[in-house]
Amino acid sequence: MPDELNAKGYDIPPEMQNTVAITTLDKLYNWGRRYSAWPMMFGLACCAIEMIATAASRFDLARFGMEIMRPSPRQADVMLVSGTVTKKMVPQIVRLYNQMPEPKYVVAMGACASGGGPFKEGYNVVSGIDKFLPVDVYIPGCPPTPQALLYGLMKLQEMMDKQSIKSVRWYQKGDLPEIPVPILGPDLIDPRDYPDFEFKLRQAYAEKTEEEAS
Amino acid sequence: MYGKGILKGLGVTLKHFVETYVDDFRRGRKRYGTREGVEYRSSKDVSGLFTVQYPEEQLIIPEEFRFVPFLVYDEGENGEREIRCTSCGICAKVCPPQCIWIHRSEDPKTGRPVPEPAEFYIDIDVCMNCGLCAEFCPFDAIIMDHDFELAVYDRHSNNIYDKEKLLKPASYYQKIRPRNYAAQEKIRQEKAAKKAARARK
Repeated sequence: MPDELNAKGYDIPPEMQNTVAITTLDKLYNWGRRYSAWPMMFGLACCAIEMIATAASRFDLARFGMEIMRPSPRQADVMLVSGTVTKKMVPQIVRLYNQMPEPKYVVAMGACASGGGPFKEGYNVVSGIDKFLPVDVYIPGCPPTPQALLYGLMKLQEMMDKQSIKSVRWYQKGDLPEIPVPILGPDLIDPRDYPDFEFKLRQAYAEKTEEEAS
Repeated sequence: MYGKGILKGLGVTLKHFVETYVDDFRRGRKRYGTREGVEYRSSKDVSGLFTVQYPEEQLIIPEEFRFVPFLVYDEGENGEREIRCTSCGICAKVCPPQCIWIHRSEDPKTGRPVPEPAEFYIDIDVCMNCGLCAEFCPFDAIIMDHDFELAVYDRHSNNIYDKEKLLKPASYYQKIRPRNYAAQEKIRQEKAAKKAARARK
């Protein structure tokens, strides 16, 4: 019986120490959950390569109970947003998140997923997935090494430990609100506007030269 | 014959699998948890597969490994911090994703600039760990760190590093990058000696 399961303040006789555990329901519940958080199998960009390396035998996610990456959102618990989130990809990611059953967690892996990263100013990139999803753990780095990712996942497990059945959102009364799926919005540059754009520039230039001439 | 390649590949996998147990048996407990064990298992002449038991043991970080940058300060005689950064702003200019902000400090009386940063911010959610800032810094004041355990629950309050969070002593720099530190220190001393000689003339 693992020591982490025992609640403090109870004396167990020494002869029963390895057979009996006194614990709280919360602890038992969290203990079960923290060692069975299955990530969803999808990768978005270069961080995905590190994620794959973490799942492979050298670092081995299975040591943390994240046995298998599930390709179906219905069987996954953790969403590892690994990489740059483009505006075109956001609706799909939010839909996948909505399809995951509770309890569900989101880990933003790498600079791009948590804050936009080097592409923050890009016309096609979402600067941080936390604008659309409730992110639980942010892992900085570009990309985070497998060990940094494991550290982030351990942080997630610590967070699970602190949750209580009374206050978790999936046991509250009423339906949980769905996260609204964003619509693919207008880009900062619309190619269709280019002739117009050119015309406007020319007009502005003409006005400027006129002013200078007069 | 079809399928020969698959059998060959599976054979290699099986060989590795068996070798892992043979190696475990031969080397015993020393193989795990110790620095020598990790060193041996990451060397090229290791046989078998292995897993880095991360929280208990870590891969040995090579000296040139880079994660987010930090600012170096020298410890003065009375324990005061002599920040190497002169807020010249070269790092902020070369930074490809533009994640460095510097506020220069001014002398309150004369209003003239003082070579020391008043504020120094790095947004590590934008930083791409390229190391150009460290490469270009003429004062060896900004160095890439080895610490990768940076995951947080809230990025808005934690992930924009200010001066206090970025400053680390030169002894730490010496610890993580001994060879780089020795080379840079040699150049710095030569420069200082030249400067002193010029001043004497």
